[in-house]
Amino acid sequence: MSERVVVIGGGGAGTAASTVAKRLKPSLRVTVFTEFEDIAYSPCGIPFVHGGEIPRFEDLFLSTVDRYVADGLDMRMETVVTDIDLDRGLITARNEHEGFDQLVICTGFTWEKPDVPGANLEGLHYVKNIRRAMEFDRLLDTVRTVAVIGASPLGVEMAGNLGRRGLDVSFVDEGSWVLGEVLDPDVAQPVHDSLQEHGVTLRLGTRVEAFLGDDHVRAVATSDGEIPCDVAIICLRKMANTALAQAAGLEVGTTGGLIVDERMRTKVDGVYAAGDVIEVPHGLTMLPIRGLTGSHAYAQGRTAAANIAGVDRVYDPVWIPWGLVAGDYVIGGFSVGETLAAAMGIPYVLATGVGVSRARYYPGARKTHVKLLAEPGSLRLIGGQIHGGEGVKERCDFLAFAAKRGATLEDLAWMENIYSPPIGALFEPIAIAAQNALADLAAATREPAQPARAVPA
Amino acid sequence: MSAVAQAKQRLRDRAEHHLRLAAMEELRRRYPAGTSPAYHEHGALLWRRAFVPLYRRVPWEHKVRVMHALGMTAERAGWTTPSRRPGEPWRPPV
Repeated sequence: MSERVVVIGGGGAGTAASTVAKRLKPSLRVTVFTEFEDIAYSPCGIPFVHGGEIPRFEDLFLSTVDRYVADGLDMRMETVVTDIDLDRGLITARNEHEGFDQLVICTGFTWEKPDVPGANLEGLHYVKNIRRAMEFDRLLDTVRTVAVIGASPLGVEMAGNLGRRGLDVSFVDEGSWVLGEVLDPDVAQPVHDSLQEHGVTLRLGTRVEAFLGDDHVRAVATSDGEIPCDVAIICLRKMANTALAQAAGLEVGTTGGLIVDERMRTKVDGVYAAGDVIEVPHGLTMLPIRGLTGSHAYAQGRTAAANIAGVDRVYDPVWIPWGLVAGDYVIGGFSVGETLAAAMGIPYVLATGVGVSRARYYPGARKTHVKLLAEPGSLRLIGGQIHGGEGVKERCDFLAFAAKRGATLEDLAWMENIYSPPIGALFEPIAIAAQNALADLAAATREPAQPARAVPA
Repeated sequence: MSAVAQAKQRLRDRAEHHLRLAAMEELRRRYPAGTSPAYHEHGALLWRRAFVPLYRRVPWEHKVRVMHALGMTAERAGWTTPSRRPGEPWRPPV
């Protein structure tokens, strides 16, 4: 009899786990349970449909249920799993039991709900489900003022896109600058400028105290006064959806995510978990973290699938390259910035430099700002932030990988780079930053003749 | 979730919150342009006046040893600490 694999959750991790397991071991009987009516779409694209950059929500669909069925998967759409019995190897859905030999829990996340009066009023919107997003988009055509609560990455994208749409957006957060969990203030400043140019009003250092209204929200009460709004979009923290797993006896860690090992295995034989529901270690500190991106969820799903299919695969601790467009401004980074390093008490050497994204004489060339953090002594990379012109994403991906492999400022200072006027300048901005830091360190230690501070191209 | 697990989660959440607030104040002094004072909840004096200063006095290498000793890091769950020695060739996972 074929080995039975049950996957709970049809997001990035769930679809990866199910499709890759089936591909690696076609004899597996793979059943996917999802509570939603749709699958294989990109929720990350939703803000950009609201903002008009992407024409239609339908464009966000990457595959279809029929395609998964044709690939041999048993798809149970709009079917909620209500119980997991690990001792008997059964799940319960629609009051029926389904047996499994191996189980993959990919139940994802839910958005944190504000713990203030009025949080149940109509008009508070959470961005996740594409059908709700379609309804919300129609509603946006009838409103004028929007409050975006929480300067998270989603909050920044929603605020910027709704500002672009012509709405009157108030962007509320308790922190001193947007993206306070990942971003440094020097990088936040051009983000603020770009959002404000798009008509977004920043209300930073401001706590939400209540949502006001009868049945429907009409205003947000804050520590800084009342902000009128026709709707409010809640973009606080992503909370791991662990209730089902916890009820089955699986262990939750200090981040609220399920504990797994580097093969995505829980402590129970044959039970895996992947995606936003789990916690994974940060490559620098080995402390568990969670709430990463779709690409992380997909890779974790693949890791679980490989191990289910008998192919030994290990998932590396993460260095978290990240990036987004805020208003019109591109920002990115990896691992830690100065704020997070200072919060944790991690010592660092700073390497900063400004280059250009193309040859400076080529039309469209923009400044690219690089800030790297390195370990004192060894000068191994530990983090960084980049902003400005093209290539932010590629640089952050590269640096996260380089940091994982132990690259130092010395390695980066003398890295090779493409010089092609439309796509790359003579001097690579990363190398400029690294050379600047080495020159400063040499000057500080009064070493004999060392490279001079790099001159930006 | 057990009461102990809930308490650990809450402890970590509060500790990170107050450490981050303190770091934001420090970074604001370094890069003031475009920033605002963060919202500070009333009270929480133990965190702000005791925990944060005490945490900051402990050198990072001591903190790392304590985190490992207390089982706060992922090795406890079966993760391998990555080797990041410069120049070491990459080896496929076993």
